[in-house]
Amino acid sequence: MLSGVEKIKAPYFCGASPISVNKTGEWRLLTPTRRESLSPCSSDCLLEGEIPLWLEAVKRESWPEAWQIMSRNNPFPALTGHVCYQSCTANCNRGRLDEEVDIREVEKAIGYWRLDNYEPGGKAVTSKGKVAVAGSGPAGLSCAYYLAVNGYAVTVFEKSAVIGGMAALGIPEYRLPRTVLQRELAILEDMGIDFVTACEVGKDVEVARLYSEYDHLFLATGAWLSRRAGIKGEEAEGVWYALDFLSLVNRGGDPESGGTVVVIGGGNAAIDSARTALRQPGVDHVSLVYRRSRAEMPAEPSEVEAAEDEGVELIFNALPREIITKNGAAVGIGFDYCRTGLEGLIVDRNRSFEKSCSTVIMALGQDPDYSIFGQLKETRPLYAGGDLVSGPATVPEAIRAGRLAAFSLLADLEGTPLPDFGARPLKKVSFEDLNLAAKVNLQLQQKQTLPFEEAARCLGCGSCNSCGVCYLFCPDLAVDRSNGSYEFNLDYCKGCGICAEECPARALVMEGGV
Amino acid sequence: MLVDDLNREREMIISGHNACPGCGAALAVRYLTRALGPNLAIVLTASCWSIIAGAPPLTALKCPILHCPFPSAGSVGSGLKRGLEAKGKGDTTVVVLAGDGGTFDIGLQALSGAAQRNEDIIFVCYDNEAYMNTGMQTSSATPFGARTNTAPYPLFKEGRKKDIMQIMAAHGIPYAATATVAFPDDMEAKLKKAQSITGFRFIHVLSPCPPGWGSESADTVHLSRLAVQTGFFPLYEIHNGVDWKMTWMTDKSRLPLSAYLDRQRRFKQMDKEKIVALQEELDDEWYFLMNKVGPADRC
Ligand SMILES: Cc1cc2nc3c(=O)[nH]c(=O)nc-3n(C[C@H](O)[C@H](O)[C@H](O)COP(=O)(O)OP(=O)(O)OC[C@H]3O[C@@H](n4cnc5c(N)ncnc54)[C@H](O)[C@@H]3O)c2cc1C
Ligand SMILES: Cc1ncc(C[n+]2csc(CCOP(=O)(O)OP(=O)(O)O)c2C)c(N)n1
Ligand code: SF4
Ligand code: SF4
Ligand code: SF4
Ligand SMILES: [Mg+2]
Repeated sequence: MLSGVEKIKAPYFCGASPISVNKTGEWRLLTPTRRESLSPCSSDCLLEGEIPLWLEAVKRESWPEAWQIMSRNNPFPALTGHVCYQSCTANCNRGRLDEEVDIREVEKAIGYWRLDNYEPGGKAVTSKGKVAVAGSGPAGLSCAYYLAVNGYAVTVFEKSAVIGGMAALGIPEYRLPRTVLQRELAILEDMGIDFVTACEVGKDVEVARLYSEYDHLFLATGAWLSRRAGIKGEEAEGVWYALDFLSLVNRGGDPESGGTVVVIGGGNAAIDSARTALRQPGVDHVSLVYRRSRAEMPAEPSEVEAAEDEGVELIFNALPREIITKNGAAVGIGFDYCRTGLEGLIVDRNRSFEKSCSTVIMALGQDPDYSIFGQLKETRPLYAGGDLVSGPATVPEAIRAGRLAAFSLLADLEGTPLPDFGARPLKKVSFEDLNLAAKVNLQLQQKQTLPFEEAARCLGCGSCNSCGVCYLFCPDLAVDRSNGSYEFNLDYCKGCGICAEECPARALVMEGGV
Repeated sequence: MLVDDLNREREMIISGHNACPGCGAALAVRYLTRALGPNLAIVLTASCWSIIAGAPPLTALKCPILHCPFPSAGSVGSGLKRGLEAKGKGDTTVVVLAGDGGTFDIGLQALSGAAQRNEDIIFVCYDNEAYMNTGMQTSSATPFGARTNTAPYPLFKEGRKKDIMQIMAAHGIPYAATATVAFPDDMEAKLKKAQSITGFRFIHVLSPCPPGWGSESADTVHLSRLAVQTGFFPLYEIHNGVDWKMTWMTDKSRLPLSAYLDRQRRFKQMDKEKIVALQEELDDEWYFLMNKVGPADRC
């Protein structure tokens, strides 16, 4: 009966056969099974990233796997790794122990891995059909990416000479190195995506023509109409709108704004304008004037602090009344005191002051240009997304819109049912749900500098993060470890359930039946 | 750190062994053998582990096991070590593995003799708090208030659990320590320390037993942790019988004992007065231990 049973080859053993011929898994009544629940980070991620899963892959230094998981939701992690406002981090459960996981840094590392390791020549199959995309911002690029990897020929029409939308023309270089977009673009071109620049859809090429020459069209033209202040002197020389100012600098132009600069507004574009102005030759002072209080600023607090640290003067509760001009050029601004009341702004015209300056940058917000919709004579469903639809939003939201549009278009063109995008039925895992008692054994490390070490700080809320606790506590040694991840060996698992009870991530359940 | 070193090569226990699902003793010996192996020989008394290890020629451990009569573990261990030394194999670690019956009761005399002679062995008692292999009979390690098959309802175990650690400390042996399966790092550190010391070493391991305790098999590690957190089974070590040191401190925030008792059917129907009595007994022992340990070593 025991013939063929391997003798134990341990150095200090005196001849016997391993008991593993006993398949004690036959005793099992319940079987450990993976169950994924929703982590706070995923649930707060604006593009619904499966964050704990790619963190886990990075922890094992399995970069191809990390990219594979990442790109299911986000094809541009190097971009978001630089500019995303990281809503994912705010409620990270790890923050309850010491400090939140630096999710965005790991994301950026995956992004650079992708840029460094993309193998050129991998043109996607482009035989299934042709789709035109209007606008090369994050929304347009994301849609183009998902259509291309699904076998469609995509042509992106861009009004500007530069690809990347607001990421290329709005976001300043000191926050996003230009090489990131250039390298992303090279990959997209290599994947077979065509780009037609300096071509405005609706003007240089008719919408109707695109509908007839392509199987479908995705509109992602962003929100580029600068709001006006409607005050005297707004047309004077030396008065800029933030987007014009930023895109000129981003294209390498010189706004010739020496001396004193006053930025009006309290959003991110205002901060970016102020910090960019500070970097222009000849500028010796930059003030930012906002009509409400500091606490009411829509800009990211960290950005406001950075501006202040760099020397931008912040002035609150002041509303511009007029731009003072001399010989058609701006020389100063008159302000009235102003604060937030119950029914809007309360302006006190008796408390006013003037500020002299040579350049004014108006950053009062942007609106989408809806005129393109007026040209549509289509009866088919219309696909549009990003800032064009939402109004000024963020890069990750635009990426998500592009992805959703791509999969909707695919379903439409192939006659398959629309994917259920809203479906995330999983339970959200709170800090209290986690079982950190077992983690006490794992001696949690403090904030780390290497991506795979930082990724290892993730508690894996609701999904396995390969912590090894199930392996550690199995009395039957029925948990196998290969490539750093864990599998159950059902030949020997007796179904005791210790693993599911102890799993810190609450990623296991015992299921009935063998 | 154990988890950092999840190297299967180090494991000396073999899947397919005969322990019940969720057996704390199987887990304890898994940690024990990986910490002390591979140059290891085990002397085993009659106990659950005699069964878990398998009937020859099958074996559940990748090291030699010498089965010995129930009361004789201390003597057989002494003899094996001296024999190995005589044959020039003194570098082999000799571990005596015995249940609480084989340690607290029937094995006590041989254990005391070996300890007094300061034999160069590591005596490991896995304590499941009753004679489990023969059907859950009361031992002197069974805690007050528990039901066993020799003290079925409405009976219960009378008298306190024997304090084996004080007995061993009184022998003045070089090293003695408590350990339990929810704290594998602590257990491994103590075993490694024991291995580095010459002379008689004693490790007392609390090993939850689902059928014997009437607990869920999934609860084994959790119960073991609760035993420490309630102060029911404190983790500490004693050098030379006099130098007591906590290795895991529960502090003032000890959990109430009921957190531990409520998850075990052996304590079901225990009336309030008995729970209070057991909590008081525990508080006394805790106070005694804190006095032994001294403020600096409360870790
Ligand atoms: C100054 C500034 C800083 C920002 N910083 C951040 C940040 O740090 N993090 C963040 O997440 N978000 C940031 N945002 C917001 C973010 O950049 C946008 O939400 C995002 O780029 C929107 O993507 P989109 O693709 O919808 O539109 P856009 O990026 O605006 O792209 C639209 C593209 O369409 C082109 N286009 C317009 N009309 C036509 C037409 N008729 N035909 C062809 N092409 C056309 C435009 O030239 C543009 O290239 C910032 C925005 C600004 C203004
Ligand atoms: C001299 C002697 N008496 C009785 C027995 C029967 N016997 C075998 S195992 C065992 C129980 C051992 O209890 P314990 O030492 O606590 O180990 P456990 O089974 O609980 O693991 C008994 C009583 C025996 N083998 N030898
Ligand atoms: S610990 Fe990990 S899974 Fe949990 S919220 Fe933080 S990053 Fe997400
Ligand atoms: S215990 Fe750790 S390794 Fe095992 S399933 Fe849970 S998270 Fe994954
Ligand atoms: S009776 Fe208890 S100690 Fe014995 S094998 Fe079963 S679980 Fe383990
Ligand atoms: Mg016993």
